[in-house]
Amino acid sequence: MAVLLILPFVAIYGLVFIYPTIKMFILSFTDAPLIGAGDWVGLENYERLPRDRRFHTALWNTFYFVALTVIPGTLVALVISLGINRLKGRLQSLVLALFFLPYILPVSVVYLIWDWTLNFQFGIAMHLFDWAGADRIPVFKSTAWFMPAVGFVTIWWTAGFSILLFLAGRRAIPEEIYEAASLDNSGSWSTFSRVTWPLMWPVTALVSTIQLILQLKIFDQVYLFSQGGRPNDNLVLVYYVFQRAFQSNQGGRAAAVAVVLFVIVIVVSVLNFQLTRLSGGRRK
Amino acid sequence: MLNLKGLAAGICVATALVSSAAASETVVWWDFLSGGDGVRMKQMIQDFNKEHEGQITIDATTLEWGVPFYSKVQTSAAVGEAPDIMTYHASRIPLAVEQGILTEVTSADWQQMGLGKNDYADATWDAVTIDGKQYAVPLDTHPVVLYYNKDILGKAGLLTENGVPKGMDSRDGFTATLQALKAAGVKYPLGSVTADGNFMFRTIYSLMGQQDGVLMSGDEFLAGDNAEKLQNALAVLQDWTNEGLQSTYTDYPATVALFTSGEAAMMINGVWEVPTMTDAHAKGKLFEWGAVELPVIFDHPSTYADSHTFAIPANKGKEMSKARHDAVLEVMSWISRNSLFWATAGHIPAYGPVTNSAEYKAMEPNATYSSLTANMIFDPKSPKAGIAGPIFDVMSSYFVPTLNGEMEPAKAVEEIKYELNDL
Repeated sequence: MAVLLILPFVAIYGLVFIYPTIKMFILSFTDAPLIGAGDWVGLENYERLPRDRRFHTALWNTFYFVALTVIPGTLVALVISLGINRLKGRLQSLVLALFFLPYILPVSVVYLIWDWTLNFQFGIAMHLFDWAGADRIPVFKSTAWFMPAVGFVTIWWTAGFSILLFLAGRRAIPEEIYEAASLDNSGSWSTFSRVTWPLMWPVTALVSTIQLILQLKIFDQVYLFSQGGRPNDNLVLVYYVFQRAFQSNQGGRAAAVAVVLFVIVIVVSVLNFQLTRLSGGRRK
Repeated sequence: MLNLKGLAAGICVATALVSSAAASETVVWWDFLSGGDGVRMKQMIQDFNKEHEGQITIDATTLEWGVPFYSKVQTSAAVGEAPDIMTYHASRIPLAVEQGILTEVTSADWQQMGLGKNDYADATWDAVTIDGKQYAVPLDTHPVVLYYNKDILGKAGLLTENGVPKGMDSRDGFTATLQALKAAGVKYPLGSVTADGNFMFRTIYSLMGQQDGVLMSGDEFLAGDNAEKLQNALAVLQDWTNEGLQSTYTDYPATVALFTSGEAAMMINGVWEVPTMTDAHAKGKLFEWGAVELPVIFDHPSTYADSHTFAIPANKGKEMSKARHDAVLEVMSWISRNSLFWATAGHIPAYGPVTNSAEYKAMEPNATYSSLTANMIFDPKSPKAGIAGPIFDVMSSYFVPTLNGEMEPAKAVEEIKYELNDL
């Protein structure tokens, strides 16, 4: 009976995930174009990667982006959720809704909002710069500003979901513990560092792992904000896979990059989850 | 999921029954024309449908221009879901042929349409030909031109008796015109799409063409002194930036806005913005304006152009019926013959009898800039070329910093050459 019940899931999972993944591995050893099969070339697609300048850019930018978003994004969400937790009743729902609102926007809308805001000629933010007497900054057209700006936009966009998770985690902590802490004359910092932080650690580990996997796979925002600008300087791994597959018609080489990303995601997320679990365990 | 599929199949069968009952062919059409030219194309489709009532109906969908359009075409042709006819950039044909997603337009097809080689300019015919076979029917060529604000230039005394800008024949002359505009208090003498390197490829490649430079010789990029010619082209544009003569970090919509609001006195842009200007002017919302062939900065006139064409996708595992194929040929033939209206979208119709007609020669501003047809250059014929292709991305990444004065032209050319040859 149990087998029968999980069969539909296993069948669909096998069809849309396991099978394509195996095909991707096989594809990465061929010189296939985007559509159709190719000849076996062994490890050639992988051997090219260390010498491939665009691959280097993509790899570096992906990790840079992860550094800019995962930990900062998790901390920002934690701080906001603790703030929201102190509010009461309707006000709490209202503020929570406001922080959650960006999360329901499609990425194209997020892109348009921020492109309008930061447009070099007509953006609202640029008028603020003028007013403050500062030089205008071509945010999405300069390599120094691009990744930090996209990172900021991403945190603004996705923080809502992490806030919800943190809020649930905070509410799961019994109030008695806080009462006991206040009886012991615990100040707000020691209450946070000795009660809230350790008890919320499992949620923090979860949020940071979700963020990590999500940000390693970053594509949409980077692609949209690069349009017409400096795409090859802003490459991230998924963008590079897209370029190879859809622009250069090189399915095999694209698959090799995808396999590398696949391995990175698995290794890094397992490492992250284990590390956060272990260090959390020691605290207890 | 299976139910949905069954339902979809049912609907397909139903529509097939309905259309065969009416003995009329429905031609599924995809295009990427969403600007002022898109409005005109919709008008033409309507006219076509009216004239062919009961025989052929075009069912048109407009998709997002550029990468989204071409990605969708590639994948849908592979699974037999592509349309019956689609618009295609001539510059993208080499890649499409390599991928096997276009159906050849045979000599029998040309005969049936009543069109042929002699109806087109050589460069245009060549742009749709791969290894002696044609893969598309050219609709137009769309070069870039120089738009100018007659009111501002007139007031600054920078118009000739013919009403065109002064100094169009040399680098010094044109720079002097820009400087005079600056001195007259114009914020941006030249509105330039400096935030979009993809777009600037058109201008820069034109300037290379003015020195007889080419991008590809055989399989090599920027061989010999071609690198130097690219560097010359970049240096001119960077000088204009350094002297404050053109707008910096300006994206496409902002450039058009700067020009139409009068903050930029001139603008280099595609002919497809002609309807924007014509329509605004007709409503009394725009100054007096004109459009001319690009200035000759180097040795001789030369302008980069691409061509909109019609192509028939090679739908995998789905043979097109004879009746449907005939209908598609009729669509291509009719639109070509009636492309005089398409010229109001700014484009230069590819079909010779239209551009040779007295009506076309009386059209403005088209007649003023149509002289450039003799000096057109197209993209190199390579699967890597074409709008939204890999060459564009490499160029764009280095054009943007160079045009805005962040990178030396020599350095940019060195990097571009390395990356192009590394593609």
